[in-house]
Amino acid sequence: MQDQFIKMDSIIKVYPPDTLALDDVDLAVEEGEIHSIIGENGAGKSTLMKVLYGMTPPSGGEVHFRGRKVRFATPREAVASGIGMVHQEFMLIPSYTVYENVILGAEPAGRFGTLRHADTKPKVEELVDTYGLTIDIDSRIGDISVGAQQKVEILKLLYRDVDVLIMDEPTAALTPQEAGELFARLRGLNKAGKTIIFISHKLDEVLELSDRITVMRKGRRVTTVDNRGLDKAELARAMVGRDVVFSVEKMPASPGEIVFEARALKYVDENWVTRLEDVSLDVKRGEIVGIAGVEGNGQYELVQLVTGLLPAESGQVFIGGHDVTGEDVMARRKLMCYVPQDRKVSGSAQNMSLVDNAIMTHHRLNPQIEDRCEALLSSGRCRAFTSRLVEDFGVLAPQLDAPISSLSGGNQQKVVVGREFMLDTDFILLDQPTRGLDVGSIEYVQKEIVRRRDAGAGCLLISADLDELFSLSDRILVMSRGRIVAELRPEATTREEIGEYMLGAKEPQEAWRVREGIAK
Amino acid sequence: MKKQVLPALIGIVVALLAGLAILWAQGYPPLQSYAALFSYSLFSKFAFFSTLDKATPLILTGLSAAVGFGSNCVNLGQPGQFLIGAMAVTAFGIAVDLPAGLMIPLSILVALAAGACWSGIAAGLRRRFKMDEFITTLMLNFIADYFTLYLISGPMLDRRMYSPLTPMTNPGAWLPIWNGFGSAFLVAVAAFAVVSVLWNRSKIGYEWRAMGQNPIFSRTGGCRNDSAYLGAMLLSGALAGLAGGLMIMGGMQHRFVKGIGANYAWDGVMIAIVANNNMVATGLYALFFSVLQTGAMGMELETSVPSEFSLVLQAIVVLFVVASRESTRMLINNIAAELRMRRARGRDKGMGDGRHASNG
Amino acid sequence: MHLMVEMIRSSILSATPVLLAGLGGAYTFHANVFNIAMEGMMLIGAFTAVAGSYFSGSWIIGVFSGIAGGLVAALVFAIFVVSLKTDEFVTGTALNMLALGGTTYSLRQLFHVKGAFMSHAIQSMPRWNIPLISGIPRVGPILSGHPFIVYVSILLAFVVEWHIFGTRYGLRLRAVGEDARAVDSVGVSSDRIKAQAIIASGVLCGLAGAYLSLGYVTLFSENMSNGRGWIALAVIILTRGRPMGLLLMSLVFGFFDGLGLSLQGTMIPPQFTQMVPYIATIVALYFYSREKRAAREGE
Repeated sequence: MQDQFIKMDSIIKVYPPDTLALDDVDLAVEEGEIHSIIGENGAGKSTLMKVLYGMTPPSGGEVHFRGRKVRFATPREAVASGIGMVHQEFMLIPSYTVYENVILGAEPAGRFGTLRHADTKPKVEELVDTYGLTIDIDSRIGDISVGAQQKVEILKLLYRDVDVLIMDEPTAALTPQEAGELFARLRGLNKAGKTIIFISHKLDEVLELSDRITVMRKGRRVTTVDNRGLDKAELARAMVGRDVVFSVEKMPASPGEIVFEARALKYVDENWVTRLEDVSLDVKRGEIVGIAGVEGNGQYELVQLVTGLLPAESGQVFIGGHDVTGEDVMARRKLMCYVPQDRKVSGSAQNMSLVDNAIMTHHRLNPQIEDRCEALLSSGRCRAFTSRLVEDFGVLAPQLDAPISSLSGGNQQKVVVGREFMLDTDFILLDQPTRGLDVGSIEYVQKEIVRRRDAGAGCLLISADLDELFSLSDRILVMSRGRIVAELRPEATTREEIGEYMLGAKEPQEAWRVREGIAK
Repeated sequence: MKKQVLPALIGIVVALLAGLAILWAQGYPPLQSYAALFSYSLFSKFAFFSTLDKATPLILTGLSAAVGFGSNCVNLGQPGQFLIGAMAVTAFGIAVDLPAGLMIPLSILVALAAGACWSGIAAGLRRRFKMDEFITTLMLNFIADYFTLYLISGPMLDRRMYSPLTPMTNPGAWLPIWNGFGSAFLVAVAAFAVVSVLWNRSKIGYEWRAMGQNPIFSRTGGCRNDSAYLGAMLLSGALAGLAGGLMIMGGMQHRFVKGIGANYAWDGVMIAIVANNNMVATGLYALFFSVLQTGAMGMELETSVPSEFSLVLQAIVVLFVVASRESTRMLINNIAAELRMRRARGRDKGMGDGRHASNG
Repeated sequence: MHLMVEMIRSSILSATPVLLAGLGGAYTFHANVFNIAMEGMMLIGAFTAVAGSYFSGSWIIGVFSGIAGGLVAALVFAIFVVSLKTDEFVTGTALNMLALGGTTYSLRQLFHVKGAFMSHAIQSMPRWNIPLISGIPRVGPILSGHPFIVYVSILLAFVVEWHIFGTRYGLRLRAVGEDARAVDSVGVSSDRIKAQAIIASGVLCGLAGAYLSLGYVTLFSENMSNGRGWIALAVIILTRGRPMGLLLMSLVFGFFDGLGLSLQGTMIPPQFTQMVPYIATIVALYFYSREKRAAREGE
């Protein structure tokens, strides 16, 4: 009865108030296979696994494991039965060491709960060696790389002796090389007898790794197929329901004058670590410049310096020819617009209404929404402005007064993008503009960016999604360790080459090498 | 709007019922006590004017707290700002003797400025030294308390009296009382109107609200959080100071007495909390709390329930309204979720495409 | 010399309520629960302790009543904050108001007085003369003869230090404070740990209140906690919730409190000497913030 290993029947899940996340889903996973679940954001793949893992109870349906009906009330029960999950957002305590994170919840304790590490530490070391995880178990989580943190999550599960590993979008924050290492590790674990369930929306990965693939769309299971001679386009169509265009169509760029320039930017953080060193770049009217890099290599600091949220240690920023180096955020916004990385934290106030979110920055810069008295805003004009935004940017919004949190992620991002683009500036800064969005919204936002470019704006695009960078950018700059190390044209390079520059595996290009002996 | 009114009503009703239960458990006649409570606060001209009189400081301290909390400034220094405002008006009213037409507006300004200065200390410490204003405003309360006590026991003592208090201020600084109606209430209403417009309609008000909801969002959008913070703190302190000043300018005593203002400042904090920093709700709750406090004295007369019972009732109202906000929201969401799920199940049952019936 | 002894003695006496409340607050601090209700819990504990001792004639019952009072207040706080998920700041403030109003109301209800309640029927805590130590010439008079809770609280500081930093529970407690979701994901209920921390703080604050009304003095007066809950909060922030640091810092504050008392009778008006502990808190906060800023700017 091989196919009775994991069996989920007619699972229904409703999130209050009325989101139907899973609509009568069936799933069967065979022992010892690598089974992938694909679907776009919001398809329900993570939710299905959360139900299996006991993180959230199903609203209807049954789960069977090893032939017996089970209902895990907590992840702990699932782990005790042998099913473990590595989450997309790591569940680690930053100030604790690797070892402490591994034992948390299953600590070795003596009388009155006093901790005793004598036997357990060697056991954890042994696991590290057996599975080739190469990490120092005494290092602090906050100090190690994202790839290493993922190894810790896997180690947590191995320590608890699981047979099934659920990986939720594991390559989201990894470079191509690290992703390759992960796949090798997963194959190794699979050979050692572990069953792997792999959740992703990246078709290439899924085709490379899996034995069988389940496709989900809008909370339903569309199909389950063996991975034998599968066509990427077929899969994509099953995922989205229509033909998917894999790259945005755009005309070649015809760049004009420079609308943005950074000269020798340097930033040192509060721990005396230099995060940006001698970064210079420019963006011209009518082009999209992409910045690639592993998160934490200076992109965040670059964005903060350009927007004015952090002061530079040295260097200058020019927008539209003006030196804005000493200017504050609002002054710079007259010349640039900024779509931040985190729409929920930086891009909006979740509890405020749609209107209140839409008028930010416009409240000082846009005289159209003022009242007769200049210090006041006109409620009627603000609403009219918001209605125009909703219409022009295709936002599906119930009411203008509803809190913005009632909108889907994609629609919220459209509000943010719309608000910023309506500032109508020549320079646009975008940081992960399509992260976490469904395919339809991704397409829309990307098309808007290209439209702006064609209308004469210069765009600086920072993205962890190499597909997006390749699709949108006219030029790609690679950042590593706080410096720019390469400039490439998408048609003249590969993802692997970019990955090598990102990791520092390849020497910086001639033009970007640090010049010895020349005073800065 | 409906989403806010419903939980508020539920909370108030439940709290009043709880109060009834407490009274009954202690052997007091519950309904008679409540009847006395409301009749002594609303159902006669004298009662109603007394309620409005008590509402005056409550509205202002409530506004002070609403502006503070709504902007993400933790101003818990209303008690101290209240006292400093009252003291400043007293000192001014004793030292300066001008006709009412000048004295009254000047006194109001003095009260505003004094309160703003006191909150400004905490704001300055926060800006300059990054000191948490939560602690500094609290500590400044005690310092203001002892400082004013020193003044009225020593340099400003009225030596003809037996307890620590100051001489009366000059008559120019007295706010008129027309047939039992204290005009100080009008000052509070005027302040309410100005602050409401400022808060809801002005550009700086928008920045305060945005900063209150998400300071990262407001900063990223270009708002100057630092100056907005200072402005909100100063306004908050000014309003509390005005509340204190009106205590001296209004009423009959016109002196700074030990213990003046009792609990008004902390009541204002609670009012803002239960009103969720909404301007209109703040005004309404201020009136409601005034009804409770004014009526409680009558209740003591009629049925001997100690008047401090109103404090207990206030706190229960706050707890229940706030809890009911959350649980009503959760309850409504859960009900909607249940309905959605039934719809999903029903649809699949009706399809009859071979899927097995969902477990009932 | 005699003055020195007196000052140290009074420092220890004044430090004890702050220490106890601080130890309780350390639990909520590490669990990342914003507990501003310590002032209220202490006040309730002070009242119930006096009531218990008065009606039973025994200080033991009084102490347990004080603990029970703090415990009940903490339960209310926990129900609202953990189960109903109300905002911690709001609930804590409301609880403080309830404590103030409730104890004043009950003062009139039960004892029919306003302001303060004193009576010979209230049995106060015994003082302990530690046999060996009281003999030592210089140190004896300083360390011996305090209400027994003083010694209990010093012992508790060591116990709590071990509990939070050396046991399984402590590891989970601090983890909840950093990332509650991560703790839930390994199957440990972060809600339960938060509730336990709140209850621990209630017990210890109740004990602090009992000390105030049965040990420090023997009476209950309106609002007798008088800001010590806030000072405890400040001390927790300054010491980052480490019990050993709390032990030290609360002594420092006790010193300032006592300083105020001993300056009375000098030229300085009494109201100014009473301000001393509060000014000291602001000054301490200044140094703490400066150190944090300095670390950031790399001075």
